[in-house]
Amino acid sequence: MKEALMNTMRKRIEELRALPGVGEKSIKEVLEENGFTRRDFLKWSAALAMTLGLPASFAPVVAEAAEVSDRLPVVWLHLAECTGCSESLIRSDAPTIDDLIFNYINLQYHDTLMAAAGWQAEENYEEALKKFAGRFILCVEGGVPTKDGGEYLTIGAHAETGLEKLKRSADKAAAIIAVGTCSSFGGVQAAYPNPTGTVGISKVLNKPVINVPGCPPSAKNIVGTIVYYILFGALPAVDNFNRPKFAYGLRIHDLCERRGHFDAGEFVEQFGDTGAENGFCLYKVGCKGPYTFNNCSRERFNQHTSWPVQAGHGCIGCSEPDFWDAMAPYEEPLANHKFMSVNADAVADKVGLTLLTVAGVAIAAHAALSAIKNPKE
Amino acid sequence: MKINEKIITKIEGEAKLKVYGEEIIDFVEIEFYNFRGIENYLVNRHYMDALVINPRVCGICGHSHLLATARAIEDAFNIKPSKKAQILREITTGLEIIQNHIKWFYITFMPEIIKDKSKMLKAISIASYASKIIALIAGQFPHNSYIIPGGVTCDLTNLEILKIEDMLKILKEQIIKEIIDESGYSKDLEIFFENVDKNIGKGINRFLVLGNNFYFKNNGELELVKEEKKNVFYDDKFFEVGPLSRNLENEVVKMIYKKYQDSVYSRVFARLYEMVLIIEYLLKIIKEIDICEENYIKHVPKNSKGVSVIEAPRGSLIHRIEIENEKIKKYDIIVPTQFNLSSYTKENPSPAQAALINERIENINIVFKCFDICSVCFTH
Repeated sequence: MKEALMNTMRKRIEELRALPGVGEKSIKEVLEENGFTRRDFLKWSAALAMTLGLPASFAPVVAEAAEVSDRLPVVWLHLAECTGCSESLIRSDAPTIDDLIFNYINLQYHDTLMAAAGWQAEENYEEALKKFAGRFILCVEGGVPTKDGGEYLTIGAHAETGLEKLKRSADKAAAIIAVGTCSSFGGVQAAYPNPTGTVGISKVLNKPVINVPGCPPSAKNIVGTIVYYILFGALPAVDNFNRPKFAYGLRIHDLCERRGHFDAGEFVEQFGDTGAENGFCLYKVGCKGPYTFNNCSRERFNQHTSWPVQAGHGCIGCSEPDFWDAMAPYEEPLANHKFMSVNADAVADKVGLTLLTVAGVAIAAHAALSAIKNPKE
Repeated sequence: MKINEKIITKIEGEAKLKVYGEEIIDFVEIEFYNFRGIENYLVNRHYMDALVINPRVCGICGHSHLLATARAIEDAFNIKPSKKAQILREITTGLEIIQNHIKWFYITFMPEIIKDKSKMLKAISIASYASKIIALIAGQFPHNSYIIPGGVTCDLTNLEILKIEDMLKILKEQIIKEIIDESGYSKDLEIFFENVDKNIGKGINRFLVLGNNFYFKNNGELELVKEEKKNVFYDDKFFEVGPLSRNLENEVVKMIYKKYQDSVYSRVFARLYEMVLIIEYLLKIIKEIDICEENYIKHVPKNSKGVSVIEAPRGSLIHRIEIENEKIKKYDIIVPTQFNLSSYTKENPSPAQAALINERIENINIVFKCFDICSVCFTH
């Protein structure tokens, strides 16, 4: 099994190696110029292999794959969004192998990060689409407004709508990755009353889309998904919301550092109380970790520094579909308010609500019971 | 007269300029034509939800929106957070300003003239160090929610505070060595202006500071601000907000201002030099943290109105909230880009219009971008 996997990857790498690189220099040269040793590179590859759920013995193959990753250019398209996901991408380990590989070489077009602007930028985009047709990875950031023909978002001098540009680009892409909750599920633009009719990109495309939701998603999940495609030439295994299982396979709650306190019935009852000082579970001040599938509790953010729950604020459930409506109010337990929320009718038809409520009742029951049983009280 | 349409990109989105005149710009109209409608989502939600939604106005300065939201709610309920909580908020918003300025200069502005990707990489590495310090306090950057009305959610130990202080010192060293030193000399800035006239882009020479966070002193009254469609007036006139406006008290900035007035050079200089001033200020206030103080002070919601104004990376940011039965009745955001980039008449131009009028058309990008425009904030 392991060997078969390894062979698939090696074959894929050989295929890629035969293609020309997209940059002027090879990845190896760029890394050396920027003072990275072979050892640093292998360490990075091992960490990435772990993120993808591969055994440590796969690190050298991951390294090889990264070296040929310049055969597959990345084109980044901005739609209705706040640029937070790009921000997230460039906060990965500094000055970073990810940065070098993805921003320096592969990224053929990125509105915010590239050097060109204006007419020149548009030309670059068209050129990248033409030159790498059928070969590039399309990363989309932001939801796509559909109301009134999509006129709430237009791009460039010809006032092409985001919807048209997305469809046109997706046609030529080898793989499509929706980066962030907006492009995956519509995001904040699609929150009730959704004035611009924004939806996730998979709703308007007839090709498979891998969703990497989060507001913003961790840089490791973005890079991991891209590398997975490079490694296998196929999109990763996904859950029912098309999220890669290696990243979104477990709930925040499952590996949370405060989980022990949940099980012991030790809760923060309100911000700033003794429970908060002792780092107790944040469920009762609105943590949505039990309903949210993501790897924040394992991978953390900003070079593995911290994550919201560590800083004492509950998870808001940002990688779940329609969390803006389904998870509100954000600072109270879901079970308390679900049926009283003004927007409940508006979101009742949206995916996951029933499921969430059932789980919510069970978890709330545990929270209530364990509070009674808690011998300290 | 010849009328040109020009699209300006790489400002976290796009803007359309309608340019009148051939070689010299006679008049210009500014248009941001995308729309997201953030204020609409807030109506009828629980007031605490604004803390999670508002940062999503912008991925670069979302933390300032978070602070402004929390302070607007505090104003409505009359809460005063502890000094410790206030200092921690200052540190994270100050660092946000620093990372914003670095990214703006090296990713948005500098490539107009100098297309050198190694400079961009250097900048990204310093900026991500700054956001790492934010993450230590706030959990992550961008888009955290550790500021809540009444204080902050984190509970730092002395060890963590020492670590943050240490990292601030390293960040300061990096900024001084790589970007701009304490005397105001910046190699990259001089390289940029080698072939660009330092005197271009003079605006209306009226400056406004409304917030009084950090070391800034406000020089205006909030009641005099008026919003008409997307145009924002102060006392029925346009005013420039931002780093140049709020740092004119500083000797080094004042010297540059005397020499170049409110030109592109002065604006860029003030923005870069502000990083040094802010980090020195942060290193001073972090010593005043008393770890025994409260992180959070409890509040009782009531029907009320609140307003807050802070100095955000691009200038004065105003949030207004109206709360009824714990729900948001009305929410209004005025962002700094609205002050600087209003679009009005030739006789009464906004700061950006005034800066563009009578300039050569090939300088249009540099002059327009020196205001550090944020299109996503404008189209919130």
